[in-house]
Amino acid sequence: MAAINPEFGKELNRYGAFDFNACYNCGTCTAVCSLSTEEDSFPREMVRFSVLGMKDEIKSSLKPWLCYYCGECSTNCPQEANPGELMMSLRRWLTTEYDWTKLSGLLYRSLPLTIIGFIIIAIGVLIFSALENFNLQSIMHIGHFFEIIAIASVFGFILLPNIIRMWWLIIMKPRIKVPLMKYITGFGELIVHMFTQKRSLGCDNNQLRWFEHFILVIGYLGLLFTTVFLDWFSNDNLFVIVLGYIMSIIIFIVTIDFMSDRIKKQKEMSKFSQPSDWMFVVWLFLMGLTAFIVRLFIDTGLIEQNIWLYLFHLTILVQWALIIVPFGKWTHFLYRSFAMYFAKIKSQ
Amino acid sequence: MDKKIGVYICHCGGNISDYVDVEKVKQSVENDEGIFLVKTTMFACGDANQKEMVDDITKNGLNGVVVASCSPKLHLITFRAVTERANLNKYNYVHANIREQASWAHSDDKSGATETAIRLVKAAIAKVRLAQPLFPFVIKSKKAVAVIGGGVAGLRAAIELSDMGCPVTLIEREHFIGGRVSQWNLLFTTSETGKELVTKLYNEVIDRENITLHTGSEVISSTGNIGAFKLKIKKIPRYIKQECHKGKLQEAIDACPVTVDDSFNFNITGRKAIYHNFPSEYPQEPVIDIKNCTRCGECEKICPSVDFSQKEEIIEIEVGSVLMATGFDSYTPSDGEFGYDQFENVVTLPQFKRIIELNDKKLIFKGKEIKNIAYIYCVGSRQIEGENKYCSRYCCTSAIFAAIHTKNKFENINNYHFTRGIRTYGKQEVLYAESLKKGDIYLQSYEDDPPVVTTVNDKTLVSINDILTSKSKMSVEADLVVLVTGMVPRADNSVAALFKLPKGRDKFFNEIHMKLRPVETVIDGVTICGACQGPKNIMESVNSALSAAAKSFSYVSKGVLELEPIIAKIDKDDCTWCGQCAEACPFDAIKMVKDEKKDIAAINNSVCKGCGMCLPVCPTDAIDLIAYSNREIESMIDALAG
Repeated sequence: MAAINPEFGKELNRYGAFDFNACYNCGTCTAVCSLSTEEDSFPREMVRFSVLGMKDEIKSSLKPWLCYYCGECSTNCPQEANPGELMMSLRRWLTTEYDWTKLSGLLYRSLPLTIIGFIIIAIGVLIFSALENFNLQSIMHIGHFFEIIAIASVFGFILLPNIIRMWWLIIMKPRIKVPLMKYITGFGELIVHMFTQKRSLGCDNNQLRWFEHFILVIGYLGLLFTTVFLDWFSNDNLFVIVLGYIMSIIIFIVTIDFMSDRIKKQKEMSKFSQPSDWMFVVWLFLMGLTAFIVRLFIDTGLIEQNIWLYLFHLTILVQWALIIVPFGKWTHFLYRSFAMYFAKIKSQ
Repeated sequence: MDKKIGVYICHCGGNISDYVDVEKVKQSVENDEGIFLVKTTMFACGDANQKEMVDDITKNGLNGVVVASCSPKLHLITFRAVTERANLNKYNYVHANIREQASWAHSDDKSGATETAIRLVKAAIAKVRLAQPLFPFVIKSKKAVAVIGGGVAGLRAAIELSDMGCPVTLIEREHFIGGRVSQWNLLFTTSETGKELVTKLYNEVIDRENITLHTGSEVISSTGNIGAFKLKIKKIPRYIKQECHKGKLQEAIDACPVTVDDSFNFNITGRKAIYHNFPSEYPQEPVIDIKNCTRCGECEKICPSVDFSQKEEIIEIEVGSVLMATGFDSYTPSDGEFGYDQFENVVTLPQFKRIIELNDKKLIFKGKEIKNIAYIYCVGSRQIEGENKYCSRYCCTSAIFAAIHTKNKFENINNYHFTRGIRTYGKQEVLYAESLKKGDIYLQSYEDDPPVVTTVNDKTLVSINDILTSKSKMSVEADLVVLVTGMVPRADNSVAALFKLPKGRDKFFNEIHMKLRPVETVIDGVTICGACQGPKNIMESVNSALSAAAKSFSYVSKGVLELEPIIAKIDKDDCTWCGQCAEACPFDAIKMVKDEKKDIAAINNSVCKGCGMCLPVCPTDAIDLIAYSNREIESMIDALAG
């Protein structure tokens, strides 16, 4: 017997949900959703769980990750209960539930704390540069070294344990029996969805958005690969240099479009932006743009006189790697693809 | 007088003529005795045929008319009107139904249908041969109306009747007027209080000289009939002088040693034997509840206004019409129904509304502060078993409004609604939306799986298999459980028995026709309105009150009434007064009278409806029904059997 917990609704409001209490359970949202199926029907059920405060049911559910926020549900909701934004908020909330450090919860709920985190990192970068006597060569060298360390430790200490926690909540805690073979055969699902977000094509009229998102992911992974593994800033190979340029251009062009959507608020999915949404897209934009300019300055020999530019890029990079990737919106890249993977291996 | 009869046989487009050979019907009656003309027509009810009928009657001096067409329910009145337009008494018209009774019933057998139609027409002709002109009875109708019940419906009806120039006697059983509405504080959708509504109405009532208000009064007998009801009213005094000393009276109330359950607060509080329900109540003088008063004399010592010498009065009045607005009782749950009378924190919605009003700042009941409130809907309404199968209409809205009001008035309130589907119809829907937005939680189950109230370690748990959450078992720890009770008929409806008012299956008073005659009853001259007729909210009650006022006024406005002449008639010679007819009469229209030598039955013409129930029980065959006499019926049977 589950006890009703009206406090949960108030908690969700801190993650951006609002007015979902207005739901009178007509089910229009579920009926219009092009991704909802008989076996995995949403979002009404998730709205209902949220209203009643059924945390355990939400924690063990993959449904929030199965939604790609086309916004049809919110557009058609007769009570203006915004089921789409509720699903978004549930994803934010789940992110913090998976996170063993609980830091993401703090950052999602408190903008001041997030800003303080960003400032501390900026100061840290400055202090480190001062200790290096603002020597560009050594700063760039250590910067590159930092990237490798950061990726490995963020993944090893935070993201991997969080994925395991997600697996525990979804598969182990509800005692779902999954044969080992399924983990292996289903692995393709993980890779496909991680790199293509194929499922979001199921949303109505989503081809353009899917394409933008797709090349953004390619651009981001490409830039990561180019800078970290090919050491773009120190590499003289023409192919690598051009590759880096292309990847960084893709990132800041696509993010400009995403930012303009959030400013215009015409699409349902861009109407309600939380600080975490803004930070994610703005930092991605800044990362692409500053990387592009840094390389441009290297190629034109201006970087020695404009060392501040690299320091700015480095600050953005460290903030991205230490805040947004482990505790911010970046994680949806992992959780969405793992959700599809778990859904696949759970199914009969 | 020899009859000169016209017969019209209708094709009804093809509804009749597709199966009945109308020409053959025509030929087979053409040469019958008294037949002057027989015509067939495509549509007898059509304007052209009606005009032709009028011409035929006037030119040829017809004195008997038969139309063979559809059911008399559809067109009896139409063709009676045709004969009247041709200056022929309408009772010289007889209707034969050859559509429902012949063509439609025997569509598989055309010759049989035709034969049936012929006999039906011949029977109608047999009856019209014996038809006599009849004229309505005219009786006097006293221009005065008694309104029984001084709630919002009765008050509003009285004001309306008064404005139409009709003297009104307004009779209220309680010592204070306003009925249920005075018990409610804020009312939904208008944001007024019940007291404000009652105050407005009361001030209008006392302004009008042609309204006589009797409080503490009950009708104890009624004789007579439409146009002349003679009522006896028993009036219990207040035992307080009219111009009383207010300050001293309050002292007297404080001094009274008797405490009884306060029915105004649905027994959640007590009151003294000398009391008023709230300070600005109307009439403003307090009352001594003489049934519970011990005559200790404490109040008399303090206040000179107390007057035990006042006596019960019997008032006799005569009115042309009676308007019933006796209201409803709130359903009282049976012992243990959802924990009622079993757990002390289970109350009904009316009690809850009083609790909200009686508390300020903090919501406290039985010494405990209330935070979590569970509302269980449809208690005493929409029941699978028992009598209350109906929806009480007002309760969803009222409960939701109370829940919103509670959240607005007090802090940290959580509302949980255990429903069977919400019915906040019409403009009230906004309240449902508002309560949802305020975070009220709604759970729902079917009638066969209601919520359960239990206690565990001093805590009250309400649980439900919520159909909105795949029938998951959900539970709430409630500080207060509110049973959203519906409306039931008054437990003491003795006044209705005086008028023999019929009740429906739901035990509320019944109208004649739900849609077309919504405030009339089969008892001529008695109208009904408000919640005595069935669950209604205030708006609907007042709507029906205005409607009943207009209808009651129509009975008395002219001073005379015309009544249908088709009634029973006693043959004085044959009657031996056995009383069986009086027992059989559903309208109480037959009484014994003394004739020259013997006792005989007499029909009250203004009450008799001509139903014919008395005819077959008469052992000496002394009763005949005008226009349906034995002779007429026998001649029809002969024609049908021929």
